[in-house]
Amino acid sequence: MQKKFMLGNEAIAQAAVESGVKVVAGYPGTPATEIVEHCASYPGVYTEWATNEKHAFEVTGGASLTNQRAMAVMKHNGTNAAADYLMHINFTGVKAGLVLISADDPGGLSSQCEEDTRILIHNYAHLPVFDPSSVQEAYEMTKAAFELSEKTELVFALRPVMRVNHAGGMVEYTDIIPEARQAEFIINRKRFVMSAVVEKESGGELRPKMRHRWLNNKQTELKAVMEESPFNWTEQAAGEVGFIGCGIGYAFLKEAEQIYGKKLPILKLSTLPLPEGKVLDFAKGRKKIVIFEEIEPVVERLIKQLYFDNKIAVEVLGRDTYLPKEGELTSNVALTALESTLAGKPYPTPQQGKYIPARTRTQCPGCSHRGLLIAMKEVVRKNGGIVTGDIGCHDAGTFEPMNLQATIYCMGSSIPMAYGIKAAGFDKPVYALIGDSTFFHNGLTGLASAIYNRANITVVIAYNSTTAMTGFQPHPGSPNNLKETISPIEPGTVAAAMGAKVFRCNPYNVEETVKVISKATAEPGVKVVIAEALCYLKFGRDGKISYTPRQVKIDTDICNGCGICVRTFGCPAITIVDNKAVIEASACNGCGVCVSVCKRGAMK
Amino acid sequence: MKFDLVIAGVGGQGNIVASQAIAQCAMDAGYNVVNTETKGAAQRGGSVLSHVRFADGPIFSPIVPQGQADILLGFEPLEALRYISILSKSGKYIINTAPVPTILANMKVDVYPSHEEMLAAVAAQGLEGYRIDATQAAKDLGNVLLTNVIMLGAFTAITGVLPADAVLQKLLSMVNAKFHAADKEAFNRGREMIKAKL
Repeated sequence: MQKKFMLGNEAIAQAAVESGVKVVAGYPGTPATEIVEHCASYPGVYTEWATNEKHAFEVTGGASLTNQRAMAVMKHNGTNAAADYLMHINFTGVKAGLVLISADDPGGLSSQCEEDTRILIHNYAHLPVFDPSSVQEAYEMTKAAFELSEKTELVFALRPVMRVNHAGGMVEYTDIIPEARQAEFIINRKRFVMSAVVEKESGGELRPKMRHRWLNNKQTELKAVMEESPFNWTEQAAGEVGFIGCGIGYAFLKEAEQIYGKKLPILKLSTLPLPEGKVLDFAKGRKKIVIFEEIEPVVERLIKQLYFDNKIAVEVLGRDTYLPKEGELTSNVALTALESTLAGKPYPTPQQGKYIPARTRTQCPGCSHRGLLIAMKEVVRKNGGIVTGDIGCHDAGTFEPMNLQATIYCMGSSIPMAYGIKAAGFDKPVYALIGDSTFFHNGLTGLASAIYNRANITVVIAYNSTTAMTGFQPHPGSPNNLKETISPIEPGTVAAAMGAKVFRCNPYNVEETVKVISKATAEPGVKVVIAEALCYLKFGRDGKISYTPRQVKIDTDICNGCGICVRTFGCPAITIVDNKAVIEASACNGCGVCVSVCKRGAMK
Repeated sequence: MKFDLVIAGVGGQGNIVASQAIAQCAMDAGYNVVNTETKGAAQRGGSVLSHVRFADGPIFSPIVPQGQADILLGFEPLEALRYISILSKSGKYIINTAPVPTILANMKVDVYPSHEEMLAAVAAQGLEGYRIDATQAAKDLGNVLLTNVIMLGAFTAITGVLPADAVLQKLLSMVNAKFHAADKEAFNRGREMIKAKL
């Protein structure tokens, strides 16, 4: 055994490599991104960024059937996108070990929503889930997941949360990488062809029903596995109130126990299905049980059902009945709950804190999106149009001071939503603003749908050649993939091939961008504007930028301190001091976009 | 033995480098170490809180619970105020007094609190510590990017939990040799700024 300080994501990657993983595929998303990047540093592992999570999962499915261990990596929103494949591979099962990493983000700290993918994977797809409580456990669970996946022929999922993915801790690991296996694909249509086929041998039953039965029968085997699992245990202590910690909820509970200063009866549960024997035993002599889990009351409801079925009368408290229903657990929530339940009191109503001025996210100084956003704002200010938004750095255009996009939902939703607004009869122009990585993720099919249905919208693709938001991962429109240099798939060429009228502009040139978007708007049908400029932060390091740098000066004789440059534009480098605009030289990257914002011409 | 440190600052202030130097130093000293960063709704130029926990026993949560931190280093006064409740009543803070205005305050949507207001808010919690203008001191040394090094030096002046020289050597091992002379000077300046107040 060796010992090293690792981030949770590094520990998961290390465990996968030690398990002989051959194929790793994912789509970038906080907090899971670095798992794929760590795997990519091992030459024997095929690693890729797929265009979306469904495809990543499908790639790993193909690898598993070819007798190679594989791992699909995604954040919770991605697991939603992959749900269709999930609901088929659960019925077919797998050949070589296949592990799904579905990272949740309690509190939505870096996400569009907060959700608990244990529901999707376990309650819905009936697949097993490990919920790690620490970095070390994430490592151990990943290794166990590969072994058990192969043994049970089922996809095993690891559901880490932000506080495991992005936490660092000391990890004991072996660093032994097994010998490579032989690739082998054995055709077995009865198993791997999911279709409404009549199964003669099963008395003429349809295959979906038969495979459903196979999956249901597997649950007994899984329950036996979890009963013996080293990831569930009981910590004995006297007391009528027992506490259950699930995953990171266990870490917060233990922290609270330390502060409270007295040993408590604790059941640590980190697997789904539950180890039912342990859960039933824990009820003995208890009047009340309090459960800490992220995010939804999944374990709480399963335990209530188990106790009901076994006629056990214990009060079960958790996120459904006692704790805050939304947001992230903390050690302090656990401590408050612990003190309140032991005192027989309700959980105190959380008090709203005093507002401390926020540091909102915005585009970096020098970002091409700021030019695009201000140009689009200019266009819709004049024509009363609506902009539907999408996921990416440009989504900060919805905040003060840009206030541009009217909607943000999930990946690729901007395009169908835009033409839905038109279909409903909205008579002014509608724009969909989408990034390049998101366009390849789930925008392509929406664009085809718009063109096919003869929509009248303008789609603006912010083409900066990287997935900037998650830390500059490449995508099909980039000059490289994870392994090598490629010839990029140019979004405008794709859109033109579909039949869209394609326009191009450099968003650093605001006047030109306004003109191009206005011209596109005037045309009928689906228009696509490619606003092309390299991500300053990513490519600027290598000296590649899409503007001619210039030092913008304020003409203090012309500047009357109106503040439009701050109030509507919001570049972090600009402030108003003593009623005059000031550009902080150390923050300014010389993009010059602000020049077109000042209507008095004070910025030169 | 258990020691909890949080560093509150703005993205780009070198918060993470400082926390890593301390974490690695604690590892070298044989402690069990856990760390993480919590970020507000802002990735770029946003609020960043680093947690470093080390102990000779097990550590469960990577996040320092409210009211448990032994030391809070505030690289920026508003960020220090935002997270001050993590500090234990018996803990100590070191706050860099130089503000970094927020975008919303620049736009006059929010009001960046005055020095006096922030002072009063911290005092109201009954907490003690030190205030130094580390940003100005870094500028005086010729580079504003030395602010985190000054704060790191200041940290070693108020606690002996890790030897000052070990922290400095760890920091130097993490940065390019051409910055070593300036880093040493900034580190010692931070220590002196605190010693002058002791």
